[in-house]
Amino acid sequence: MSTVTEKKSRSWFEILETLDRRIIYLFVVVALSIPIIYRVEMKPAPMGTADDFYEAVESLDPNSGKIVLIAADWGPGTMAENRPQTEVAIEHLLRRRQPFALITIYTLGAPFLEEVPKGIVKRLEKEMPDEKWEYGKDWVNFGYRPGGILMIQGLAKAEDLHDVLRADATETPLADIPMMEGVHTIEDISMFMEFTGLVGAFNAWVQFFRGPIFLHGCTSITIPEAFIYYSSKQIIGLLEGLAGAAWYETKLYEDYSERDKESLALSTNTGLSFAQLVVLAFILLGNVGVLMRALSKTLSKKESS
Amino acid sequence: MPEIPEYWSIGWWEIFLAGFSTLAIYTFLYKENPLYRIFEHFYIGIATAYGIIATIRFFVWPELLKPMLGLDRIEFPDGTMSEEYENLYLLYLIPVCFGLLFYCILTKRHKWLAELVIGCQLGYAGGLAFKGTFSELLPQLFDSFRSFYVPGSVADSLTNIFFVVTLVTSLTYFFFTFKRVEGGVVESASSVGRWLMMGCFGAFFGSTIMARMALLVERLEYLIHTWIPAMVS
Repeated sequence: MSTVTEKKSRSWFEILETLDRRIIYLFVVVALSIPIIYRVEMKPAPMGTADDFYEAVESLDPNSGKIVLIAADWGPGTMAENRPQTEVAIEHLLRRRQPFALITIYTLGAPFLEEVPKGIVKRLEKEMPDEKWEYGKDWVNFGYRPGGILMIQGLAKAEDLHDVLRADATETPLADIPMMEGVHTIEDISMFMEFTGLVGAFNAWVQFFRGPIFLHGCTSITIPEAFIYYSSKQIIGLLEGLAGAAWYETKLYEDYSERDKESLALSTNTGLSFAQLVVLAFILLGNVGVLMRALSKTLSKKESS
Repeated sequence: MPEIPEYWSIGWWEIFLAGFSTLAIYTFLYKENPLYRIFEHFYIGIATAYGIIATIRFFVWPELLKPMLGLDRIEFPDGTMSEEYENLYLLYLIPVCFGLLFYCILTKRHKWLAELVIGCQLGYAGGLAFKGTFSELLPQLFDSFRSFYVPGSVADSLTNIFFVVTLVTSLTYFFFTFKRVEGGVVESASSVGRWLMMGCFGAFFGSTIMARMALLVERLEYLIHTWIPAMVS
């Protein structure tokens, strides 16, 4: 009888160890879908790096005549993390009436430069019907700029940005854009934000675009690397993946209580937490399987001896 | 909640294709199949074509062809132009022709011409990398000189000690100049460095899983709140 029970329990351990990956996928999808369907939102963990990012934006003087340059070097591949980051940062700048310019050195990022600020402005104007945000006065889109490092270096060294960039993404000369009137050199850029999952793109900006305060939004994969730059103060604020964007959004809620409650970063971050719990549970189960099998092997060896 | 476009409108087809493509790619999770392969190739093809068009649209046309052809000037109603044609723009043809030599790589006889372009690229890339590495690494190098004792903060002191131990032992792991003696200082330090690096790789692996999950969350969000409502509307 005991031999039968032992055989049965042993097979259980083996099942845990050799669980088909598709079953794990199924569990993950179900775990992720529940908070998305029922719009469950959990408050994210506070993040010091995102707090620094927020404080840096708060410290800007919107009337200084200087602009913020945002490099949105992301496309569909890292949209899940970089888009919410870019959105919360742009929203914060728009709320503070801090003029900013968008640029990308990644071809697939170009359509988002147009779509993202327009969507946020639409939402803000719905929230505050008396206020208006205008293209050319509050933000400008430089579009996709090829040339990588050479282009970045050109921007950093430009005696006049109007000559280097010439026109915006819609081919309107920079001279005809009101917010670009007093912006001519890198000195007129008070802050630089880089949102990307591409280590090469981030490195290129870090190496050749030195001067303005540097903030960064990275994907989860690149968090360990981004921390090197944060630790050495090469970047003074960091949005760590989706969780960073979710925490930033929580801070926006605190400061702007009338803000629209529908949130992308918070709901997706909650889903992500659920999925991580499922993965952790499966890792534990797999390890329990390995340990139990090893234990039963040792016990059976002792019994036979 | 996103707005759902009218049934059979262009917007509806856009959503249908986006959701269907996502599901087709995810069929790979079950097993390798032709549907996945087809959509994978679609993605590569579209991304490449988009890259080419974007380069032409945002660089070749406005920065190169328009000034060379004099099309960046404004024509007034009386037929006069906003400015005179600048002949110097024709000098752009020199780098353009030199760059086009890259395509000589396709012929055996003239391949050496392409090597000139590649050599030029390697030269400037090397120079930029040299400059860039210094401007990137120097601040990190300065940051690595940390005090073991931070007045008033035990946590910061411990952090700095841990940082320096990790730095030194990890560097020792890649130090192959001396002969390593089993149980010796270098061997022991490199062993500690190896374990610390393994912890770091674990963090990398964990964050990679988190990033992949984030992609899945975004797609599920789209499928549940945009694609399904559009399909059943």
